[in-house]
Amino acid sequence: MSEKEKYLQIRREAMWTGITLLILIVFWVLAGFGLAGVDIKVFGLPLWAVAGTFGVWIFAMVLVKLLTTFVFKDIDLETDGNPSRKGGQP
Amino acid sequence: MNGDISQLLPLLGYMAFMIGISFYVRHQQQSGLMNNFVKTYFIGNRDLGGFVLAMTTVATYSSVSSFVGGPGVAWNVGFGWVYMAVVQVTAVFLVLGIFGKRVALLASKFNAVTVVDIIRHRYKSDLLAEISAFIIVLFFCATMVAQFVGGAKLFEAVTGYSYVTGLILFGAMVVVYTTIGGFRAVAITDTCCAVMMMIGIMMLVYFVLQAGGGYDSIVAHLETNRPDMLEPLSGGKMPYGLYLTQWILVGICTIALPQSVVRGLAFKNNKSLVRAMLIGTFVVGFMNIGVNLTGILGQGVMTGAPADYGGTDSIIPRIVVTAMPATLASIAIIGPLSASISTISSLLLVGSSAIIKDIYLHRQERKGNKPGDGKLRILSMLATAVIGAIVFFIAMTPPSLIWLINMFAFGGLETAFFWTLLLGLYWPRANKTGAMLSMVGGTVLYCLAQGMGFKIMGLHQITIGITVSLILFLIGSYVGKPEDKETLGDFFPE
Repeated sequence: MSEKEKYLQIRREAMWTGITLLILIVFWVLAGFGLAGVDIKVFGLPLWAVAGTFGVWIFAMVLVKLLTTFVFKDIDLETDGNPSRKGGQP
Repeated sequence: MNGDISQLLPLLGYMAFMIGISFYVRHQQQSGLMNNFVKTYFIGNRDLGGFVLAMTTVATYSSVSSFVGGPGVAWNVGFGWVYMAVVQVTAVFLVLGIFGKRVALLASKFNAVTVVDIIRHRYKSDLLAEISAFIIVLFFCATMVAQFVGGAKLFEAVTGYSYVTGLILFGAMVVVYTTIGGFRAVAITDTCCAVMMMIGIMMLVYFVLQAGGGYDSIVAHLETNRPDMLEPLSGGKMPYGLYLTQWILVGICTIALPQSVVRGLAFKNNKSLVRAMLIGTFVVGFMNIGVNLTGILGQGVMTGAPADYGGTDSIIPRIVVTAMPATLASIAIIGPLSASISTISSLLLVGSSAIIKDIYLHRQERKGNKPGDGKLRILSMLATAVIGAIVFFIAMTPPSLIWLINMFAFGGLETAFFWTLLLGLYWPRANKTGAMLSMVGGTVLYCLAQGMGFKIMGLHQITIGITVSLILFLIGSYVGKPEDKETLGDFFPE
């Protein structure tokens, strides 16, 4: 990968991380405030109190898994100008 | 349970273990410390695996106030507080996903050891770098004082020993092991701390459920007596504005905290980064939900008004004392104290790197001097110890309102670094004028607004700081000259 390609890939990953955040925010709003009026009980608690906390947590882990599987790529984290260092590849 | 020496043994053993780790790490890294002391001492050898990277990021980020102050409020507010706290699941994957590889690659290019090094290269300004270092040291000291005070107060309330005894027991020890072991010791001790935090939470949940007569009976109590605790707005105690500012303050903007970004300089490879994002998200969610849930379940143990117990800050210590057998309480308390020391250790080291690497060493190099490794070794350790000692002595006469000091410093660092880092690393047009205006103007205005208690629409001053610093950044970047071709070529390769 050239320096430019590396930069573009890193920028792409950063952008998708941001998009992940936006999706999570929307989910958070819907799962909490969105379900606040629903009269369903889970473990004796109102649905929103479970979905807005445990639900958001689990959803975040799923999103991060998707993000790191489909967007993140292995990049040699050494620059061309500094080839003596090692450890860039797993 | 006052003054029983066996109460102190678990903590004493734990702290001794931490110091043992620092000596071991010191010994293990001997060759690195001989060849390149500053780098090895301040960021290790870029060899953190996913698990340790996740744990040290979470432990540094989770402070004693998330263990004591926060859950105390949850006890009074209910599930709205957990709903708000869960926004922190973003904290780890955002900073690692947005800055992790970017910073790692740049650090390898410039041989950078600190976040300020990167800022210096990007904006080609020594003044900006020194202002950054100054802001870091200033706000870090405030945060560390808050951590010391919070930890020592908790210690006093739970063990019955004095505040000062606690401060010496865990406070002085954290300064010692950070000074000796440097970054690698911080990363490993942080990992132990994160594990102890999780164990502490699980113990608390278990005993609080027991003492409160079981889950069903506590929930039934809430339904009958405190229905407000089962609503997101909590009968007016949780306004929408609070949710909004918490998203900014403890969610999104935390990506710019220098103590988190610096972890981008320390991980081993792509795989460790990805693993850390996953593990970190799990751990931060576990802790924030678990600890605040404990606060709510505390309703089963204590049903009075906050004032009956001396304010919400006293709730968690009370729960520990009433719900747990004394011997276990002295183990459980290691969890929250771990939250405190793991934050202090990282801040101490980044603070000392700001003084030694970003200010002293750079000035010497500019003058053409090259201080020897022996001298740097002594100075680096001295700086770490001295910052630690100063903060320690301020904490001896504690300022009040820890939670607020902590949040004040969080907001200040975010205002100073959010746009400077985010736009600097991803927007070619960003330049020195913009960064300078944004960092200085934003931070000063944020502090003024805090000092005068000025708010817009009742929102936390972070909203003012982050907006003003963005506006100033954009004005500066469009009015001032772009950085030279060479710099831009380094950062945005064509």
